[in-house]
Amino acid sequence: MNHPALAEKFAKDFNRTTWHDETLWFVRQKRDRAIYPIPEFQELRTLASQIKDHTLSNLDNYLLQFEENARKNGVKVHWAADGEEHNRIVLDIIRNAPHIKGRTGPIKMVKSKSMLTEECHLNPFLQKNGVEVVDTDLGERIVQFRNEPPSHIVMPAIHLKKEDVGETFHEHLGTPKGEKDPQALTEAARQHLRQKFVEADIALTGVNFAVAETGSFVVCTNEGNADLGVNLANVHIACMGMEKLIPKVEHLSVFIRLLARSATGQPVTTYTSHFTKPAEGKEMHIVIVDNGRTQQLGRSDFRNSLKCIRCGACMNTCPVYRRSGGHSYDFTVPGPIGAILSPNIDLHKYSTLPFASTLCGSCSDVCPVKIDIHVQLYKWRQVVSKENELPAVKKWGMKGLAKMLAMPKVYNLGGKVARSALRILPHGMTHAKGMNPWAKARELPDAPKQSFKEWYSQNKKP
Amino acid sequence: MKVALFIPCYVDQFYPNVGINTLQLLEKLGVEVAYPTQQTCCGQPMANSGCEQDSKEVYHHFVDTFADYDYVVTPSGSCTYHVRKHYDIIEQTPAVQKVRKGVYELVDFLENILKVEEIPIDFPYKVGLHLSCHGQRGLRQANASEITGDKGGQILTLLKKLKGIEITQLERNDECCGFGGSFCITEEAVSARMGQDRIADHVRHGTKVLTGGDMSCLMHLEGIVKRQQVQIKVMHIVEILNGSQP
Amino acid sequence: MSSREKILASVKAHKPALIDLPVIPAFEGDGSIEKFKTVLTGIGGHAIEVSSKTECQQVIDTHYSDLKNLASTLVKATVEIDTSTSKDILEQVDLAVVEGVVGVAENGAIWVPEANMINRALPFITQHLVLVLDKTNIVANMHEAYKKLDTIGNYGAFIAGPSKTADIEQSLVIGAHGARSMMVILY
Ligand code: SF4
Repeated sequence: MNHPALAEKFAKDFNRTTWHDETLWFVRQKRDRAIYPIPEFQELRTLASQIKDHTLSNLDNYLLQFEENARKNGVKVHWAADGEEHNRIVLDIIRNAPHIKGRTGPIKMVKSKSMLTEECHLNPFLQKNGVEVVDTDLGERIVQFRNEPPSHIVMPAIHLKKEDVGETFHEHLGTPKGEKDPQALTEAARQHLRQKFVEADIALTGVNFAVAETGSFVVCTNEGNADLGVNLANVHIACMGMEKLIPKVEHLSVFIRLLARSATGQPVTTYTSHFTKPAEGKEMHIVIVDNGRTQQLGRSDFRNSLKCIRCGACMNTCPVYRRSGGHSYDFTVPGPIGAILSPNIDLHKYSTLPFASTLCGSCSDVCPVKIDIHVQLYKWRQVVSKENELPAVKKWGMKGLAKMLAMPKVYNLGGKVARSALRILPHGMTHAKGMNPWAKARELPDAPKQSFKEWYSQNKKP
Repeated sequence: MKVALFIPCYVDQFYPNVGINTLQLLEKLGVEVAYPTQQTCCGQPMANSGCEQDSKEVYHHFVDTFADYDYVVTPSGSCTYHVRKHYDIIEQTPAVQKVRKGVYELVDFLENILKVEEIPIDFPYKVGLHLSCHGQRGLRQANASEITGDKGGQILTLLKKLKGIEITQLERNDECCGFGGSFCITEEAVSARMGQDRIADHVRHGTKVLTGGDMSCLMHLEGIVKRQQVQIKVMHIVEILNGSQP
Repeated sequence: MSSREKILASVKAHKPALIDLPVIPAFEGDGSIEKFKTVLTGIGGHAIEVSSKTECQQVIDTHYSDLKNLASTLVKATVEIDTSTSKDILEQVDLAVVEGVVGVAENGAIWVPEANMINRALPFITQHLVLVLDKTNIVANMHEAYKKLDTIGNYGAFIAGPSKTADIEQSLVIGAHGARSMMVILY
């Protein structure tokens, strides 16, 4: 289904839409309060943007440097051209782990948040191959129980009310029916997941930043689930999109200052963990994934979408996202950034996403790495049209309109006819809901007898 | 200083009054204004729909129409933004460069070219200001809440000069109204909802007159005001500045 | 060609011309103990100031007398932990008291290197966490913090307050998977 249809479905529930909008606006406001007092915040955005620009322009060398240093640290580095290869690599690592190889019985994996593994559809793949995968981020666990994709990259269950979570936990964790207190529900998840952490053979994490100069990577969480998982399991697999690299440790300071403030309005996430070498006797793997990224790198208009640090601020600020919900985008990364990443993956399937925006520009102003999201939305629209993915009505309508607007006489006449029609035709016809989407919720402007141009010719022309 | 007036297509057709007020205000301020009658549109409707290539001929027509003038003044931040930002796809002849540089949103022109200091008008109403995104974030005519807590901006500065005026303090000072050109049709549900939410914010905080610098946003908002039969009068900023009363 | 070669070749072919790396200027800020304490309180932690490190024992005795399994190398421990301690013992830890090395006033975070963690899992699996910090090691912001750390070592974390989540309707709940409470003793 396309975005307008899914959005309409979402917005039908008026009160729930209000609630969704206000919940996310609240996060946006927390973000504002966290950044206003920092005098250098805008400068940090510029720096972050420049550091990422630089890194992308030298990415092959940084990847090599990172790989070399990681290997020296005793970390195994793997490369995946696409999602499928990524999944196969992960499964191989699991099956060949010394404490698993040749063992029978279930293999258990705990996983902290990684949008990349969502993108690659890792969970269903591993489950099909006999690996039990438990998402340990609370929000992700909730949507995993419900068999839904996350609706937000930072707050995966933001589309759900506490009553919904209560129902889900009642069904899966046996919490009392009707229990909807977030404190009690979180406690139930804590007990349930602690068990999973202790039992796990493997821990998988995403990567927020990878540092070329040391071969290290940084993972940020509030719950502590990444560290808990990794430090209890024998094998740590970290999956990263190749754009996560930054050159040096000193650059982390810029990004760490921006990330949590932009994401949730916190000064920093509770845990900012730096992984460089595996613990004694344990294994650490890094899977570097392309999956369309090098292609995006080659598109000069869209390249800088790769600077994204997945803070989610563009979602929280987007007036369309807030009123249509993350699932209306039907892509791993929803919201404005999703709308400029998705056409690179499948232009046909996601052709309505660049149009799911008023081009208000709030996303670009909120983005901590200064991605010109709304400019790219505009540019993707041009690509959609060029590749013949526009609905025919729109395409030919626009061609006709352009012709008319380039010819003043035709324009003048056309305007006159339209205005007269509006004036003469009965309200019920001009405002027919099926025919005129404008009029579903809005009145048309009154049609004046004279256009400005006509008035001018009568009153002003010498 | 040769000044031309550009009246955007939908203003020409549906809001001739806004055009008339613009012309009168500029003349009142001593500007000699020409209105080249072959003008039509800046080309934005097609371009925002992805048909930038088709609108090239409209761009050329626009440039041909206005190439002789130092300034092209228009009561629309959105059209100004379009010409400045998106006319980069046609050959940058001296004429194109001149027009792109010379196009001015009306309030910007009043403040920064004419340096208007005084507006001797009584306007004893509670006025809600709707910032158009293209004026605000596109042309940077007002601060954006994403960047600073300071709500200052060009239209606000002018409004504050009116005697007796009270400005509505909104919960969301600069949220988009949801018009968005063809967005208002293709994404009707979200578009309408955004507009309704803006109006609700104004109603909650006592707006009696709703104004702004872009008639397109105001057309959309007025459509909702009328449908919901809310007691708010919608006026373009130029109508107020030229002395119209609600 | 392996995926590695393919990816690297493709990056090389698609990347733009080299863009300069900016220099991060020296950002100054409030590095006071007061600021650190205020921010820490704001994120759900709290700080106690003592006049010397030896007072830690007393603070622990006063505040945590009800907790049974205490892991530490700074104060009297009741469970012995090392790098090879089994999960079921780690799981029983009620309180861990370990030393941090740099505190950051702008966000209340404290750097804890692997060596101070006793066991990598300890600061995360413990029910409650106390970090001990020399107050002269508080810096204003993250830039200064990284500068002050010679190295990020094999493993280490900035820890800022207790574990938390707001994944259910944005209501903040303290004590998600990690420590339910977090106290800092500044000496
Ligand atoms: S595009 Fe910018 S604002 Fe959106 S998630 Fe990425 S970094 Fe954050």
